[in-house]
Amino acid sequence: MKLPSSMSSVGWQAAGRLSIAVGLALLVGLILRRVALVLAIVLGIYLVIQIWNLLRIERWLTHRRIESPPDINGPWGEVIAIIDRIYRRKNYHRAQVTGLLREFRRLTTAMPEGAILLGPEHEILWFNGRAAGWLHLHRKRDVGIRIENLVRHPAFVEYLKHGRPVEGVIVYEPADGGRYLSFTLVRTGGSERQLLVVRDVSREMRVESIRKDFVANASHELRSPLTVISGYLDALADDASLDPAWGAPVLEMRRQTERMSSIINDLLELSKLESGERRHIERPIDIAGLLSLLRREAMSLERRPRNVNTQIDSEEWLLGAETEIHSIVSNLLTNAVKYTPSEGEVTLRWWTDDEGGHISVRDTGVGIAAEHIPRLTERFYRVDSGRSREMGGSGLGLAIVKHALQRHEATLTIESTPGKGSTFTCHFPQHRVVSREGVEAGVARLHAVD
Amino acid sequence: MEKSDLSHHILSRYNDDLERVRTNVLQMGGLVEEQLKLAVEALVEGDSRLGEQVARGDVKVNAMEVAIDDDCSRILATRSPAASDLRLIVAVIKTITDLERIGDEAEKIGYIGSRLAAVERPADRYRELKHLGRIVGDMVHEALDAFARLDAEGAVAIAKKDRLVDEEYEAIQRQCITFMMEDPRTIRRALDVLWVARALERIGDHAKNVCEYVVYMVYGKDIRHLSLEDVEKHVQSKSQKAAPEGH
Repeated sequence: MKLPSSMSSVGWQAAGRLSIAVGLALLVGLILRRVALVLAIVLGIYLVIQIWNLLRIERWLTHRRIESPPDINGPWGEVIAIIDRIYRRKNYHRAQVTGLLREFRRLTTAMPEGAILLGPEHEILWFNGRAAGWLHLHRKRDVGIRIENLVRHPAFVEYLKHGRPVEGVIVYEPADGGRYLSFTLVRTGGSERQLLVVRDVSREMRVESIRKDFVANASHELRSPLTVISGYLDALADDASLDPAWGAPVLEMRRQTERMSSIINDLLELSKLESGERRHIERPIDIAGLLSLLRREAMSLERRPRNVNTQIDSEEWLLGAETEIHSIVSNLLTNAVKYTPSEGEVTLRWWTDDEGGHISVRDTGVGIAAEHIPRLTERFYRVDSGRSREMGGSGLGLAIVKHALQRHEATLTIESTPGKGSTFTCHFPQHRVVSREGVEAGVARLHAVD
Repeated sequence: MEKSDLSHHILSRYNDDLERVRTNVLQMGGLVEEQLKLAVEALVEGDSRLGEQVARGDVKVNAMEVAIDDDCSRILATRSPAASDLRLIVAVIKTITDLERIGDEAEKIGYIGSRLAAVERPADRYRELKHLGRIVGDMVHEALDAFARLDAEGAVAIAKKDRLVDEEYEAIQRQCITFMMEDPRTIRRALDVLWVARALERIGDHAKNVCEYVVYMVYGKDIRHLSLEDVEKHVQSKSQKAAPEGH
């Protein structure tokens, strides 16, 4: 570094000057024969000059923002120059950092999304302009207050506490004519702070509700004319006076109207699942009983695999909406039966572990190629369109399963090997598993209320 | 000044307890707000199932009241709080009573809503009730905000809104009487509408009470049964005094 070497040279310079002054003083003193007096005067003047310079420097350092550096020659001037350089460099860096911060703040304000930084206790540490506008936050007033004290929607509080559902939660804020806000918590690794991202999803919600209404209304409107058509077709099929040449076409028409009405029924069920979030009555369900009931139904079918088994590995019950759980398993079982040849087997299994409860449907059917698996739960998605139409499916079964599972905070996993068979497994969270004794003791009812 | 009083037990469990009670009250408030919103929605949209759901949901509100009450008794017994902490606990005990009553009124609205869904709907589709419901809902929301922020001035401003609610209630009452005189067949429905308006008006009163507890909590002054103008003067003088000391 430069500092020590220049300091030392300054020091040498000072020492040199002092020795010249002392030498001159000695010379003059010898001439005047008053060595001590002259030496004392010279040293005294020297000291006064040094102290005076020191005072000027001190004064400059305390008022350096408004005063320019004092003009002093010699070693003190060197020192001032060094200090001045350090300050200039610091000021430059500070200006840069401040500029960056200002830029950052401007950017976060212009950001289309709201952002709120939360501390470990969910207290508000910082937020941008968007979030402030949407949630009526005020910088002076609200920093330090826990977010759930201001955004009090039960769904949001639940999300904050448990982080479920993973993709965030949507709540309705009535202020300023009302808007739907979506909240997503981003946990930064290692840090106890969390970032809450807020988005205005009013538009999406409106479009979504138009779509849902359309599907529900259209299905309703289609159902009544279809009932009339199938009624007449039934009558025609039984009509003996009809030309026998019409027999096959009428049969085909009846098959197609049946298919159409099953599609419409599935659409209606799907839209009910989507919209009826609140109308959801949950009670403990005996899964073992449900599986054996469905097994009996499957075994009574005309076209079925050689065997449908049940494997019950748990005594526990499952907390859920009975009709929906029934529809989940029944849809999975119908698919399995449909795609399993008559010499194959289908197995229904129920088990529980530390993670929760699981229902699986395993078949030894045709299997599904890996590229189709991620898209299976899309509406009307078909692996092989020709074959599945022949089977008479509506293309909505797995979409219904997915929606019904979502309402139970459950997930679906699909494993499949083409030619060997597939396994569809539903994973329910731990808090939905209730013990049989608990059900009998009526504790489950308390659980449902809670 | 008062705010720091509530947060000076730094890192102590006592402070945690107080904070938790406060958060729980606000969460109960959030639940009550939701109940009120859904109840009015059920009535206006004629959704009988939603109405029934609201009526059933009141159990949760009651359970929360009991739990918070227990917490408060425990803190009173084991910590013997003083000064602003004591005021917080007292205000909480009173606030949850009012919140629970708001829950009861919402339950009533939900119940009547599910009944009204079955009968013929008037041409205005209960527009007045929707309007009153929104004013009252905002009042509850802002009262709870004031509670969260310990904002006494805001609380007084909200308490003033109660007059607006009373006026709206009067208007609905007059309108119902006119309907009943014009056509006696609407009496049953008009009576139900009156019940709902009455319930909403009561909710407004309870929200006002919550605001009064906020002022009590912050300044230690009981402002019940005082005129709002006196209260406002008092709060303003207090906050002016507090401002220079606060910093």
